[in-house]
Amino acid sequence: MDALARAIARPEPVDGLAERSPLAGLRRRSLGFVDVLAQSVSAVSPAGAAFTTPLLVSSIAGGASVGAIAVALVLVWLTAGTINEFARRMAAAGSLYTYVARGLGSGVGVVAGVALGIGYAFIAMFAFAGAGYYLTVLVDRLAPGAVDPVLLGACAVVGLGAVAAILLARGIRISARATLVVEAVSVGLIVALIVVLIAASAAELPAVAVEVVGGESPVGFAVAAALAISAFVGFESSTALGVEAKRPLATIPRVLRVTVLLSGVLYLGAALAQSLGFAAIGGGIADSASPANDLAVAFGLPWVGIALDVAIGTSLFACGIASTTALVRVVFSMGREGLLPAALGTTHPRRGTPVAALAVVLPVIVAVPALLVLAVDGVWSAMTILIIVATGGYLLAYVLACVAAPVFLHRIGELTWRSGLRAGVAAIALTAVAVVYLVVEAGGARAIGVWTFLAVLAAGVALIAARTRARPWLRHAIGVYDSPVADDVLGGIPAIEAEPGARG
Amino acid sequence: MSAAPDLSARQPKAIHSALEVLEAVARLGAGATAKEISVQLGLPRATAYRLLNLLVEEEYLVRVHDLSGFALGRKVAELAHLVRPARPPRAVRELVDDLRGRVRGGVHLVGYAGGLVRILDEDPDFPLSDSARLERDPEASALGRLLLAERYAVPDAASGGSSGGFAAQTGSFAPDRACLAVPIRDADGTLVAGLGAAVPAARAVDPDVLLVPLRETAARLGPLLA
Repeated sequence: MDALARAIARPEPVDGLAERSPLAGLRRRSLGFVDVLAQSVSAVSPAGAAFTTPLLVSSIAGGASVGAIAVALVLVWLTAGTINEFARRMAAAGSLYTYVARGLGSGVGVVAGVALGIGYAFIAMFAFAGAGYYLTVLVDRLAPGAVDPVLLGACAVVGLGAVAAILLARGIRISARATLVVEAVSVGLIVALIVVLIAASAAELPAVAVEVVGGESPVGFAVAAALAISAFVGFESSTALGVEAKRPLATIPRVLRVTVLLSGVLYLGAALAQSLGFAAIGGGIADSASPANDLAVAFGLPWVGIALDVAIGTSLFACGIASTTALVRVVFSMGREGLLPAALGTTHPRRGTPVAALAVVLPVIVAVPALLVLAVDGVWSAMTILIIVATGGYLLAYVLACVAAPVFLHRIGELTWRSGLRAGVAAIALTAVAVVYLVVEAGGARAIGVWTFLAVLAAGVALIAARTRARPWLRHAIGVYDSPVADDVLGGIPAIEAEPGARG
Repeated sequence: MSAAPDLSARQPKAIHSALEVLEAVARLGAGATAKEISVQLGLPRATAYRLLNLLVEEEYLVRVHDLSGFALGRKVAELAHLVRPARPPRAVRELVDDLRGRVRGGVHLVGYAGGLVRILDEDPDFPLSDSARLERDPEASALGRLLLAERYAVPDAASGGSSGGFAAQTGSFAPDRACLAVPIRDADGTLVAGLGAAVPAARAVDPDVLLVPLRETAARLGPLLA
């Protein structure tokens, strides 16, 4: 251990390190494992998605929701492993935007950034609308017919947005911990309901098994898989906390794996329980406005239904906050780089939160769903459009990340056949699912969602392209991450004195 | 996340590989790439990458030069006591020197901090024949066998082992040399250091002659090293 001992005794200065991280200003290394986990879990909102996803899948693709969810789980697992190739090597605030820029260069990076921004923004809109939806369901149950549900839904979105603004400006730690508790309680309730439903209707298992395996066209299955993937989106959002997490290179990859696995198991259980439950009571899941609720009533547990509505609504609200958290950090990164106006790259001097980006982003996230609810005259129809836009954005960002990973690994000389194969399989499968999904939706009743996605993507990329053309140096500024500063390496601190008498 | 570390019998080997990687980075200098490090260590690339990423996750290494190079992280300074123990206090050195005056042979003091054999005070007149092997291969030396006997609670380690509160070795380092070693314990009885005497093999046949002064010094060193 001669060289190591010498290096410790007389550290040599390391060249080319800055005094400050390019992302200085955020509260560096302040969030532990639980807080980071809370971010990803909240953004996925497993409690909210556990019953809304099978409903969405069934209403669009008929049965087969269990099979579609299983395929989605495998795909998302491969994607998470590929994203972790980046997350283990650099701590960033721009999430997949920064990763893709590091792998495929600034041009593709911008496309990924806009796509990811669309994903976060529209899933946040979906979540705030969903929280409003469950609030109206609850109010309608307590005081039937008292208030116009559409107007109440729109008002609820605005009110919840205001609460979110306060929580986000104060710092994510309090809200993250609160949402993790909410999520744990909701998931506990759901697991209990799943166990009751499966136990009570186990006799229907053979019939449902036929439905799971049986005839679904490949196109229908791809659409169902895309919708099932939309239940996982947000798992990668803790990669936006690279600067703020303690030991980010160890914590964030672990959080990604845990989040995907836990949500996947929960979704499979919920989908199975719902198929069994509706088979037992003889109704269609697609006809139900709140399947968990209807099932609970049918099985003689009405209070569970009410508790679940509250839990799912709260979980969706948490999802809105978490997705906004990630979006704000992507916008903050772009502001720091100069890709967006520099004012967006500033932080609150005391709280270390990117308040400027928040002030620009949140009003849009609240106004769009509130207006859309009024325009389409119904919260649920608004939600089905918003989720299409969001899913389009996420799928594009995931595909680009899976293509970028092997290129990035090759560039730093660490590509192995295993990571290359995993990224390749994920990229091809995700592309197939995304293309089929968008093409099918473009020919359907919610085509507006697909066109909105493409229009926002084109507008965003064009806007940034115009800005970079006027400022050519920006091309080299894209992809900033929390690079090590002098303080992080051995050569950056004063030499350790050999202290006679001091033993460790 | 911060559950009690799951230490297994394989762990010392993993720690050793990790230290070897750090050593390689120190030798190659800041900015060494993963490929260069795997070549330097003669490790398969996938293994080297896994170790490197693990050390980066734990922040003992830091990625520099656009992520393709490695440098020692500031956390490495925490390993200082593992790789380069501080010189023992003067009172300790005087006691060991005094023993050297009475024993015809090399008298060496080692510490066991972190579960590894680390040389604290080597006899300047009779230097160790292979100090690196003493630290690396605890099964070969009497001083290492003391540590192993303690770790696995072996009352009587193999031939010439550590029965009766001492350990011995004959011919491990040189064919005609032997070594006797006695433990140095703190007030709780925890093994903190070892005191060894290397002598011609013939003189180790009757160990008691050597063990009496070794044990007497070891007893006096205990409170100073604890």
